[in-house]
Amino acid sequence: MAVENTQELLLNMGPQHPSMHGVFRMVVNLEGETVTKIDPKLGYLHRGLEKLAESRTYSQFIPYTDRLDYLASPHNNWAYVQTVEKLMGVEIPERAEYLRVIFGELARIASHQVMIASTALDIAGWTAWSYAFRDRERILDMYEMTAGSRLTVNIMRIGGISAEPPAEFWPALKAFLDDTPEMLEEYYGIFLGNEITQGRLKNIGILSKELAENLSITGPVLRASGVNYDVRKAAPYSIYDRFDFNVPVRTGCDSYDRTLIRMDEIVESIKIIKQAVRDIPEGPIMAKVPKVIKPPVGEVYHRVENPKGELGFYIVSDGTTKPSRVRIRPGTFINIQMLPIVALGWKIQDVVAIFATLDAVLGEVDK
Amino acid sequence: METLNNLFLIIAAAIRSLFADPHSVWANLTMDVINFIIVVVIIVLAALILILLERKIAGWTSQRTGPNRLGPRGWFQTIADALKLMGKEDITPAGADKFIFKVAPMIVFSLPMMTLAVIPYGNGMAPINLDLGIFYFLAISAISTVAFLMAGWGSNNKYSLLGGMRAVAQMISYEIPLLFSLLGVVMITQSFNLGTIVEAQKTIPFIILQPLAFVIYIIAGLAEVNRAPFDLVEADQEVVAGPFTEYTGLRWGLFFLGEYGNMTAVSALAATVFLGGWQGPMFLPGWVWFWLKVGIIIFFMMWVRWTFPRIRVDHLMHLAWKVLLPLSILNIFLTGFGIYIYRFVMGG
Amino acid sequence: MENNVLRQRVEELATRVNGEVEESVGAIILKVKAPYIIETLTGAKNFPDAPCDFLHDLCGLDLVDHLEVVYQLSSLSGSQCLRVKAIVERENPVIDSATRIWQGANFLEREAYDMFGITFKGHPNLKRIYMWDDFEGYPLRKDYVIEPIEERNKVRQRIEGE
Repeated sequence: MAVENTQELLLNMGPQHPSMHGVFRMVVNLEGETVTKIDPKLGYLHRGLEKLAESRTYSQFIPYTDRLDYLASPHNNWAYVQTVEKLMGVEIPERAEYLRVIFGELARIASHQVMIASTALDIAGWTAWSYAFRDRERILDMYEMTAGSRLTVNIMRIGGISAEPPAEFWPALKAFLDDTPEMLEEYYGIFLGNEITQGRLKNIGILSKELAENLSITGPVLRASGVNYDVRKAAPYSIYDRFDFNVPVRTGCDSYDRTLIRMDEIVESIKIIKQAVRDIPEGPIMAKVPKVIKPPVGEVYHRVENPKGELGFYIVSDGTTKPSRVRIRPGTFINIQMLPIVALGWKIQDVVAIFATLDAVLGEVDK
Repeated sequence: METLNNLFLIIAAAIRSLFADPHSVWANLTMDVINFIIVVVIIVLAALILILLERKIAGWTSQRTGPNRLGPRGWFQTIADALKLMGKEDITPAGADKFIFKVAPMIVFSLPMMTLAVIPYGNGMAPINLDLGIFYFLAISAISTVAFLMAGWGSNNKYSLLGGMRAVAQMISYEIPLLFSLLGVVMITQSFNLGTIVEAQKTIPFIILQPLAFVIYIIAGLAEVNRAPFDLVEADQEVVAGPFTEYTGLRWGLFFLGEYGNMTAVSALAATVFLGGWQGPMFLPGWVWFWLKVGIIIFFMMWVRWTFPRIRVDHLMHLAWKVLLPLSILNIFLTGFGIYIYRFVMGG
Repeated sequence: MENNVLRQRVEELATRVNGEVEESVGAIILKVKAPYIIETLTGAKNFPDAPCDFLHDLCGLDLVDHLEVVYQLSSLSGSQCLRVKAIVERENPVIDSATRIWQGANFLEREAYDMFGITFKGHPNLKRIYMWDDFEGYPLRKDYVIEPIEERNKVRQRIEGE
């Protein structure tokens, strides 16, 4: 409802802005506080990973994948090494598969904790933020015990996993799994159960099922719009067909359900890890892979369920030691497309909240 | 105990007795200057202590350490921060409206000084004993709206402007329930004088007679001083720092002092009007009681800040106009009704 | 089993759009020429019993003598996957935009334009997405000259020298 003689305010949010999750930038048209147009600008963290891959050998590229979604780095490693293994036809040992599942699901929990924390922070729930980070710390400690680093873990190798977890890893893991229900209750108590939070997130930023499908949205954002689709169930990779778990689906389509579904997914991840710990066999953790990795000529596409959306790798091999083309299909890069469509007509506060519930990590968006 | 209770009055009398005529113009002027200095010291000390306390409480609620490096348990942290702020370069943006930009933080800082001057810190210890105390207090604190808008407009920054506009919308809306919540007390005591109001609470503090008014006052007071969950004015996730975005160094420090000064002032008024001010059991001097009560309210404000997320802008308006305002009017009605019944019963 | 149904559908579609069907590491690939792309994608979206109605990915690919646009199609209702490749000329890479079928193609096509210079006809906002607007060249093409190592070393020496 424009009044005569008024002018829209053109506001440039980012790349340096407290709630832009790194270096995301959007140019926002404001009518008062109401957003009338959003123009996302990407590329401030673009490192040209796809180009870099063309001049690296297959193994050399693994550490670069850590820098994609740096909040769930084992998952990116996993997606990449599995793609190469698929191309080469390598069978990897059982124990390595189980360890990969354990680390992948730990990464999922850590990533969702950061999502809950940053959503809380974006609506000024400082305490919830520090609670979630406090608990994520324990996962990072477990990474550190095994791989030596905390954020960009670089734990997977083509043909297996780089290190056997040390003896103290297993009690730490068990204690963490046992404490998780209490943690989730705490997050709910201080953050999601709060009246103000619900007012901020409920019925905000409705992403309908049809729009989500049309926009190629994947991951928790899709499932919060009522679509029951998870690559782990729909096209099981690794050993996910052996575990008993549910795919949480919510039908609220709003910011609140997009946040809540992460809590549900943490519960399911806990289930998977518990089963993996129970069933894990003894044995080697690396398959016999040639020193020089030289996949046959061909191309392969492989996708996994990353915590933030589906991550796909499309590798074209020309038979040399370096890939001819590595295409990364980043989940949040595509998910972010919904922002200019869904956030229109909301207040600038709500846009920040909607962006937070997308859980975009700029490392992955900008590649 | 009596001596301790009247310690400051005795000191004041001693200073006055240095003059030939203790009530001469010069004696009054000296006392006014001393009072002024005391109020400034209160604000600066309050800011220094409260900032540290805020960070400690924040650390405590969110299970982290808080400042712990400088001095014993980090107690010198704010002093170091203040020194750092003084040493910072004072930047005025090229496009700013220089006069408005520079004058705004001074106004923000001076307002709590003016409001704190009418608070009775102890028996007969109000620096200025105004008959229209409450009225004066509310009138002065309403000016800070203008100061925030000046800062927001003068900075020539879009975030500042948004923050300034939010400040106006929010503070004007919450002014009304704030004022109405105090009216019940005024109706009972038949006085605007803060000293009289404290005297009237000798047997029973007004929080028991006016619980609804107290709740409304605390909520509206939180909004009035832009504390979370009503800190939309300086919401860093949305408008970076609102009107303060472009300020640096000591000017920014003045805003900080003003913010904590305002918080102290609002808590002091709450303690005076609802919690019985300096009234309390005689094992502690009156002024200690007063500051204890202020401290409790400030602690409550901080606790709220670190627990709740920020409210939505339309819910903020909804709360002010559709919830707090009708409730405060209801409270006035109930108070009137209660007074009528009381008179009827007592007067026969 | 389902793969056989899909394979049959893809072959039917291939005859309609003059495409070739290939297979690589278990995935069905349908190769068509650029002008047929919209027909192919619409056809794949409406396969009677195994619809590939979810645009999973879209990317460019440089095969030196020609460019390709690779569409990874999947479905939210089943496990079927189809890879559609559209061949575009290297000199004049133009293809119809898929944004009319899937809005999700928006950013993906901008990226392919940014990296390969493929023009998508009918795209609502075809601008560079990662690189800045006046950037020259298309980085992921094979003939893109990256700064030679000697040049980079010169810069490095200068920085270290200072």
